[in-house]
Amino acid sequence: MYAADVGPQYEGERIRKSDFHVEFGGPDVSHKGELVTVKGLDEVEHDKIIVTGPDIKDLPEGSSNRIFIKVDVAGEVLEKDLEAVLERRVHQYINYIEGVFHMAQRYDIWIRIHKNAFKKGLNSLEEIGRILIDLFTAELPVIEKMSIEFVTDPAKVEELLAEAIKVYKERDAKVKGLREEDVEEFYGCVLCQSFAPTHVCVITPERISLCGAINWFDGRAATKVDPEGAQFAIPKGNLVDEEGIGYDTVNQVVTERSMGETTQFSLHSALSFPHTSCGCFEAIVFYIPEVDGFGIVSRDFVGSTVIGDPFSTLAGMASGGKQNEGYLGIGVQYLLSPKFLIADGGYSRVAWMTSTLKELASEEVPEDLLAKIATEKDVQNVDELTEFMQNAGRL
Amino acid sequence: MSKGKMREEEIRRIIRADDEWEPVGPTPMPNLTDLRNWDFRLLDTYEPFYAPFCDLCCLCTYGKCDLTGDKKGACGIDIAAQQARWILICSLMGTAAHGAHGRHMIEHLIEKFGEDFKIDLGSQVNVEAPIIRTVMGLKPENLGDLRKAIEYVEREMIHLVSATHMGQEGSYRDFESKAFHAGMLDHVALEAADIAQIVGYGLPTSIADTALVDLGWGAIDVKKPTIVVVGHNAVTANAIVDYLRQHDLYDKVEVAGLCCTALDMTRYDSGAKVIGPLSRQRFFLKAGLADVVVTDEQCVVTDIPQMASEAGAAMIACSDKICYGLQEASAMAADDILKAVLEEQKQFLILDSEKAAEVIVRAALALAPTRQERKKIMTQEEAALVSAKCRGTCEACNRACPNLLPVNVAINQARQGDFAKLGSVFLRCIGCAKCEEACVNDIPIQKVMQAAAASDTYKIRAGRGPIHDVEIRKVGSPIVLGTIPGVVLFAGCSNFPGDIDDVAWLAEELARRKYIVTLSGCAAMAASMRKDEDGKTIYEKYIPEFDAGCIVNVGSCVSNAHVVGAAIKIANIFATLPNRANFELMADYILNRVGACGVVWGPYSQKALSIGTGAVRWGIPVVLGPHGSKYRRLFMSKKEASDWNVIDGRTKQVVNTEEPTPEHMMLVTETKERALVTIIKQCFRRNDTPPGRAIKLNSYISAYKQVIGGLPDDLQNFVRTEKEIPIVYKREVIAYLKEVGWKPKTVLSLPTLIGTYETKVPIEATIK
Repeated sequence: MYAADVGPQYEGERIRKSDFHVEFGGPDVSHKGELVTVKGLDEVEHDKIIVTGPDIKDLPEGSSNRIFIKVDVAGEVLEKDLEAVLERRVHQYINYIEGVFHMAQRYDIWIRIHKNAFKKGLNSLEEIGRILIDLFTAELPVIEKMSIEFVTDPAKVEELLAEAIKVYKERDAKVKGLREEDVEEFYGCVLCQSFAPTHVCVITPERISLCGAINWFDGRAATKVDPEGAQFAIPKGNLVDEEGIGYDTVNQVVTERSMGETTQFSLHSALSFPHTSCGCFEAIVFYIPEVDGFGIVSRDFVGSTVIGDPFSTLAGMASGGKQNEGYLGIGVQYLLSPKFLIADGGYSRVAWMTSTLKELASEEVPEDLLAKIATEKDVQNVDELTEFMQNAGRL
Repeated sequence: MSKGKMREEEIRRIIRADDEWEPVGPTPMPNLTDLRNWDFRLLDTYEPFYAPFCDLCCLCTYGKCDLTGDKKGACGIDIAAQQARWILICSLMGTAAHGAHGRHMIEHLIEKFGEDFKIDLGSQVNVEAPIIRTVMGLKPENLGDLRKAIEYVEREMIHLVSATHMGQEGSYRDFESKAFHAGMLDHVALEAADIAQIVGYGLPTSIADTALVDLGWGAIDVKKPTIVVVGHNAVTANAIVDYLRQHDLYDKVEVAGLCCTALDMTRYDSGAKVIGPLSRQRFFLKAGLADVVVTDEQCVVTDIPQMASEAGAAMIACSDKICYGLQEASAMAADDILKAVLEEQKQFLILDSEKAAEVIVRAALALAPTRQERKKIMTQEEAALVSAKCRGTCEACNRACPNLLPVNVAINQARQGDFAKLGSVFLRCIGCAKCEEACVNDIPIQKVMQAAAASDTYKIRAGRGPIHDVEIRKVGSPIVLGTIPGVVLFAGCSNFPGDIDDVAWLAEELARRKYIVTLSGCAAMAASMRKDEDGKTIYEKYIPEFDAGCIVNVGSCVSNAHVVGAAIKIANIFATLPNRANFELMADYILNRVGACGVVWGPYSQKALSIGTGAVRWGIPVVLGPHGSKYRRLFMSKKEASDWNVIDGRTKQVVNTEEPTPEHMMLVTETKERALVTIIKQCFRRNDTPPGRAIKLNSYISAYKQVIGGLPDDLQNFVRTEKEIPIVYKREVIAYLKEVGWKPKTVLSLPTLIGTYETKVPIEATIK
């Protein structure tokens, strides 16, 4: 079918320096990038694959080269907002190819072609383009037309990259600035009902799914691409609980999808009508009554938290699709949300975090407050935490 | 007979029912009939398929009775019930072997540390005994509680053995239900035994990255005094290690093992070595490299005293299960035993493990200097000479070989100085030595193989014990969703149909497709006996975590419990379903939602049968190698014609899913290629989400194309919606489905068998 085998089993394949025939991008190459652009149906020539500059077979073995992958797509229901989501699929699908690995995204990509793949006949970027178009159009019928240009000509890569960086910045500004107040709909996900039958995940621009895998744009894309799938749109409705941030339509959907188990969601509280947790959460917020504050621990933290329980014990308390006041599963990106636990006081209520999470949160939390949040390096138990909080003037 | 109030009270006391870690479920310490309805529900879909090894019954003096066709025995038994009776008898043998092992291990450790000695499996393991918790309803806290688990197994076994007597059970379905009971009890015993040795000997737990240890007969430095332990119970082996450490002799003496004792010894001390699996016992012992041969229990070939004697090695038996008619010498002074061993070449049974250790080590030190000549491997010239009488024409050896290997050609070529063929025969040899017995010229074929066998050293990772709760939490979601395509356990013996490294090939094919691959016992050893072009074994190449694309050696046969335990933990820890005395709830969850599959590629022992039969009761399908057909029974559905009704947990309505998943619960495959695609298929579950099923189907199609060719001809059974068609093969599969008239099927997110049969488990319990 193709010069190399293709399938999800090859995702995660690593190719060592001594094993690649050629590489594109990566730390030794200054200019590289990839960009998906949604265009009008009459602006895209379907199935067109061009290589501008030297191809794999023309490049010296062991060489590191510039590359820019320019993908144009068109379809009746495609929107500009979907570009970033589709761009991530370039990473995913290139990794489907045996003997090819793709890392990172945007201006930071790194692609290696294994010597064995080259020997088997994968000697042209055109072949990779063919595979990409086949996979994209097979998986996403909303893409009606698609063309790809692989640019390896150094000067042209530089030129395209400069243009792309402007697009990335525009996208970032839009994402960062997007608030719940700015949108008309949120998205729900019930994928995890297979094991947490009453759990419903509500995804807003300021609340990533608790597994960390679906942000608001992903949810939007998923509902467009697969309207019958596990993700669905929730009209925002009316803000009926200003303090806890609860919407009437969200409550209706949650009631229906949880089979009546949960009837009210406060989107940004761990204490009052908290969002349920399935079991996939990347981190857990847990209430520590002794200091009237929260602790936050992530899945990769080994050892006991400040209250003596390891992640696994706390996970047992938080999970199962039930509302558990004082326990909330979250995606770690939620730590950077402007509405992070805003109904409970946000970071002013956080007493303890693992040092890794604290470093991540440092982008959002004022420096003086950050210093007053303890980690496992500062305290080992609740008594020490209480003393820490007293010394910090927070108790 | 129902339990009665007194027994119910007794059970509540045993399991400390008032401890409130979870409410006590419907079946605490189930008896022979408590789970019978669940068993029958399984049998409704997966009818036993019997392949009698013998058409007669000769168990009582009314016999022999011919059971062919519609004939019945004098007692009234028919051929189906007779086969099922054999299955029960053999499963009981297996369960008894593990149970007695557990009983011995636990009693030994209680003697040493007391029954209050705490169970602590480290910071990563909170649910310490998922099987015991689920089956008994007991949360074991100390060694005394583990003894309770063995006592429960023993109590049930007496009733099960009774049912095999003439004139007792008469239905094959009830015999199968009882065999399931024996298999489940086997798992209780496995878990109790391994937890006991982990806590008692400080074996690895709560870590994944255990030591890489040496495996292979070439790994043994035979210039040193060499002690070889054979069997499955490491009490004496560990005592030998202790004695060597205490006397500062550890670097002066080589300690190696065959079978599971070796694996457990390397968990105790990574300086010990593994010679290989069961199939290498005769070969190695006949080579005479051991100065002292030590036997403990299970899977020990029974002519070891003779082999040791012929090799001029000392031999000490250490288990009351294997006494060989030897004098029991625990009461004798060590010096006296040693004197008889060295001067009279006398072999002993020594049940006192510490005394045995002293005698064994001192004997090895004394014998080694005198045995250097005996340790020389047969050269090719010598091998050619002893093979001189072979003309390769009588083929008696070939006919005797269970694997039909061309032994005659190999020996005949060896006679002429060409050992290549014999080398390849060695790789496929299961070590039964039937060829040698059949040889009309008395050629010592196993010895001749020494001249042809490669003496490579391989790396195997020491068994890591339980799967961590945090690992379960990480993989629970993708396993249940189906995006991690499956968890595969390679267990059992080394009665392989092909090369010894086929297990490694299977393990690697699955790991590179992102399956979680776990191994134990002889299968774990065999899997190390294959190196890639860089000289690395799968244990060096793959991460030893319980995660997608990783390869984990859990340990010896008794460590199999941890993989079943992991499946239970997915339901209990991840989905937070209560497991206490809740067998049906857990098994139903596993059957419908956890894509796990057991593989016994080299099925040999009755223990492997009981492990596999127990797995089926838990809802885990089992794939056997060809020799597994000699177990006499398989569990196979009639594919789409069988009963695939479930209850949809959301609507509480019965739904015919029309999809045969898992397709069979126990079946035999003939080649490793067919095994690969079958294992992949057996990991399909009704609960798979469309993206998960797409990933599983992708693995199925890609493997099928790779090893068999073309598209599988049963895709229409497993594709439920178009969304599940793997994108890589979309156009091809759509064309095929159109051709065969495929129609979409229902996809359920809460499929359950609970409610489709009479049970105490309420349907609501499946939707916590």
